[in-house]
Amino acid sequence: MAITAGARFAALQWSSVNTAAGIDAGDEALVRAAQRGDRAAFGQLYQRYVGMVHGILLSRVPTASAEDLVHDVFLQALRSLAAMREVSRFGPWLAAIARNRATDFHRRAKPNDSLDDQPRASEALENPQREIAIEDSIALLNAVRELPDVYRETLVMRFVEGMTGPEIAAHTGHTHGSVRVNLHRGMQMLREKWQGYAIPAEKEKGS
Amino acid sequence: MKNDYLWDGSGEPDPELQRIEKLLARLRYTGEAPEFPAADFLQSQAKPSHLAFFTVGWIPRFAAATLLIVALTASVFFLRPSPLQVSDAPGWDVARLSGTPRVGNFSLANDSSKAQLKVGQLMTTDNSSRASLNVAEVGEIYVDPGSRVRLVESASNHSRLALELGTIHAAIWAPPGEFVVDTPSATAVDLGCAYTLHVNDDGSGTLRTTLGWVGFHKDGHDSFIPAGAMCTTRPAQGPGTPYFEDASEKLRSALHTFDFESLSAADREQTLRTILAQARRRDAFTLWHLLTRVNDDERPLVYDRLSLLVTPPANVTREGTLALDPQMMDAWWNAFDLGDISVWRFWEQKQAPPLLKKAAR
Repeated sequence: MAITAGARFAALQWSSVNTAAGIDAGDEALVRAAQRGDRAAFGQLYQRYVGMVHGILLSRVPTASAEDLVHDVFLQALRSLAAMREVSRFGPWLAAIARNRATDFHRRAKPNDSLDDQPRASEALENPQREIAIEDSIALLNAVRELPDVYRETLVMRFVEGMTGPEIAAHTGHTHGSVRVNLHRGMQMLREKWQGYAIPAEKEKGS
Repeated sequence: MKNDYLWDGSGEPDPELQRIEKLLARLRYTGEAPEFPAADFLQSQAKPSHLAFFTVGWIPRFAAATLLIVALTASVFFLRPSPLQVSDAPGWDVARLSGTPRVGNFSLANDSSKAQLKVGQLMTTDNSSRASLNVAEVGEIYVDPGSRVRLVESASNHSRLALELGTIHAAIWAPPGEFVVDTPSATAVDLGCAYTLHVNDDGSGTLRTTLGWVGFHKDGHDSFIPAGAMCTTRPAQGPGTPYFEDASEKLRSALHTFDFESLSAADREQTLRTILAQARRRDAFTLWHLLTRVNDDERPLVYDRLSLLVTPPANVTREGTLALDPQMMDAWWNAFDLGDISVWRFWEQKQAPPLLKKAAR
């Protein structure tokens, strides 16, 4: 069930207020616990960072592959966790693993493989109305994917994963300033790219 | 208030942003947290503390360790090691991929054999061997056949390899600037990326970036190589002008001539004009590099072509660019959206001698 944007932001605003002390301090404790073999701690890190990881992957690889690779990224992180010394940089470290995994995906891909997704045929057959909405979502995502790396990654985290700017900064290790710039420049480029394209508001009413 | 909505969802909602949110939120990850295998957890647990040495049976272990230290000290004294000492700093895990790669005098002959490359040690692969180097918080390096790689430094926030010969493929997830590779003709500085570095017998080499960007420098001569681009380096000249690999053959050939061949004034001008004529908008970053490599008479030609391809950023002037004003040069680079140059400036500042750093404050 979809959460309304307002309700989602109510929760996120609380966490963004506590970013500096709360989220970061908690991460360090969780990372140290996970390094000692605490599964629950690693599970909490997974819940906190799965959106960031999926966002990074989705901005670089096809949708279905992104979902598969999420698990791979956390598995690699788990295997490497013991050797991690700068526990305060868990987010940037995990983000780098995700970017690296996406690079590896492309290295192994066939030359003609496209990053663009095709609408999922099975969903279209089961529910024609939903097929239209997914098609629009994927078309818009493909446009975002044509932007430079830093913009598409930030926009996907913001719009697909529903993370706020402060959350993106806290998770990825970027400064608030650079995330803000990436969001604004990315949106500007997306608007230019889609100039003349009417985002299909009418179709949304029925979905 | 529109801006705040994009930043954190506060303020008056922007209908266009709300539509984008609604469309893209359908693609949000909804999978459940997987059950991670117990074996991976065992592997992830921190290695046993060194204090464990003293918990059980410490007397015989202590005696054995004392004997070992005496033996090592004696061997160090009598055997007179080579000038490159192998230190006890953290080593890099080496895994054999094929053939029999060697770490120091140790050969990795089968899949189960493992080794650590210690600081000062050399890893070599013959024509049929491949190996990988791995440090969990830095990245992975794949070493191709016919290569010689030495670990120069290994600290928590700084790792340095020397590629003396051959080819490595690096996938780095350490923060930008923390992983460096020396070659005989230039130093490659990771700025958040994946790349391939090759060194020939004569010390020349090439760097190809596949993700992010890399800084390639020697004696204050810098080249930045974004994803999809490459750069050639020569021992006498250092890194040449980088270019996208899909640039025209005429541009690539002219750049090579301009960078590495001795030309008459007339030939030099003709070569430069070929480069400028062949440059596409995407090649603006190549022209940016040329600004610092041409003479004062040539620079206006480069600027005019660059400013035709890319609109000059705010507060950047023709006069300032021709004078190579550092802030304007940085603004130009950032306008290409190929990487934030402040990352490089930060790395440069870290390399500066302490007195210079103090003066800079």
